[in-house]
Amino acid sequence: MSDTPTAAPGGGTGGSIRRSLRSTPSKRRKKKNQIPMGLAVLAFIVIGIVLLAGGSPLLAFFWLTGNVFGFVLQKTRFCFTAAMRDPYLTGGTSLAKAVLVALAVTSIGFVAIKYGAHAQGLPIPGQSFVVPVSLATVAGGTMFGIGMVISGGCASGTLMRVGEGFGMQMLSLFFFVVGSFWGARDFGWWTLHFIARGKAIFLPDIFGWLGAIVVQLAVIACLWIAADKWAKHKSAAEHQ
Amino acid sequence: MSNLFDRVKKHPYYVAYLKDAWPYITGAVLLSVFQIVTLAVTGNPWGVSAVFANWGAWLFKLAGGVVDKWYYFAGEGTPGSIALLERGVLQDPGTWRNVGIIVGALFATLIASGFKFKKIKSWRQVAAAVLGGLLMGYGARIGFGCNIGAFYSGIASLSLSGWVFGAFLFVGAVIGSKLLVKYFM
Amino acid sequence: MAEVELDCMGEACPIPLVKAQKKIEELAVDDILIVHIDHSCAMKNLPEWAREAGHNVEIEEIDDGEWDVIIEKVK
Repeated sequence: MSDTPTAAPGGGTGGSIRRSLRSTPSKRRKKKNQIPMGLAVLAFIVIGIVLLAGGSPLLAFFWLTGNVFGFVLQKTRFCFTAAMRDPYLTGGTSLAKAVLVALAVTSIGFVAIKYGAHAQGLPIPGQSFVVPVSLATVAGGTMFGIGMVISGGCASGTLMRVGEGFGMQMLSLFFFVVGSFWGARDFGWWTLHFIARGKAIFLPDIFGWLGAIVVQLAVIACLWIAADKWAKHKSAAEHQ
Repeated sequence: MSNLFDRVKKHPYYVAYLKDAWPYITGAVLLSVFQIVTLAVTGNPWGVSAVFANWGAWLFKLAGGVVDKWYYFAGEGTPGSIALLERGVLQDPGTWRNVGIIVGALFATLIASGFKFKKIKSWRQVAAAVLGGLLMGYGARIGFGCNIGAFYSGIASLSLSGWVFGAFLFVGAVIGSKLLVKYFM
Repeated sequence: MAEVELDCMGEACPIPLVKAQKKIEELAVDDILIVHIDHSCAMKNLPEWAREAGHNVEIEEIDDGEWDVIIEKVK
């Protein structure tokens, strides 16, 4: 299931790369087995679900899915920041491609749910996420892009890294909160000058339901191919 | 007892499924599954950063401040709401989800026996964390969300805003990379 | 066959990879670059890059949350 080989814990080099002895044994400290601590945290998570569910199943659901997202992000080392940054900085596009896959699969699920609601005459869920496009979108995206790269993590990535024990992201999280509060304070100004003049564009309104998902998947596919070609191009350039 | 855990640590199933990292595509699929589940159950996609503005408001309240005149928290179609703030942090679903992400990641790291507290190494890292955090927080509010809410959920919700935000995320990432190499390395 | 060590402990996200990419240019073929990291992202993106570039890679876990990524320059 893994694509990275690891040497057996506590074992010697065992691999094919010959190394001088000096760099191996001196480093090996006795490793603590953290599995018991992991199980304790798991117990905490489960207790949380049970306790919350008693009062509000919704809160229990949010707690559960939060833990699932955190677990999956950490286990797969999924990183939106790296997806956007690596094509430029290191030439790597594997995360960009993975993000594209996520966009595609989620889009399919979302359009099904939304269309189903529409077809049954029910209110469409999640439409509050269809927001006006304006200069605020441009400025916000750019600011967020800069911030996530220099701080070493996006929103989900920062939370994940706090859980992994990174002091830097704990600091970043605090200032993320400060910045968010500042942004909320200025939100009225941005609304007045830019957001109120923008339009929220729901793709099915332009292309129809089927058209919208087809166009979106086609764009994602093109980006995927571009990412693939980019990585090959960068790789070839390195070996000149 | 410690013998049992040490034996588990060497077991091939443990190593393959709990210790070693999983492929990125697996992540993409699993995140998608739970995004879809979230939309179906809660009526909204996944979002992360809106919660942080609420945390800021609660901290501000502790310091004696009030936000009831702020447009952002007016609550009729605005991203924030006074009503939610008044119910308190323990009743905020988004807070539970965000803290869940932290704990879930902690669990994943511990169960793989890979947890280590990484101290901040230099003033450069402090500057990067402070500046980066502020930019992300502010940018996420005016952009109606972060890499998850505005970009991932936005695009998946078939909103053009998601694509525009994403394009400029990329622009920002390039600028950030240049800054990173020049000042923060 | 020289062995070069690159200490990237405590470095934030892309830095171990960027430093490794620069360092490996200074090495001759058959030289070995050992990168010390404690960042889980680097534990994945370093070997992935090195393998893409055609080098031999091995990862050794030194302690909880600490790894040595051993890269043998092939070309």
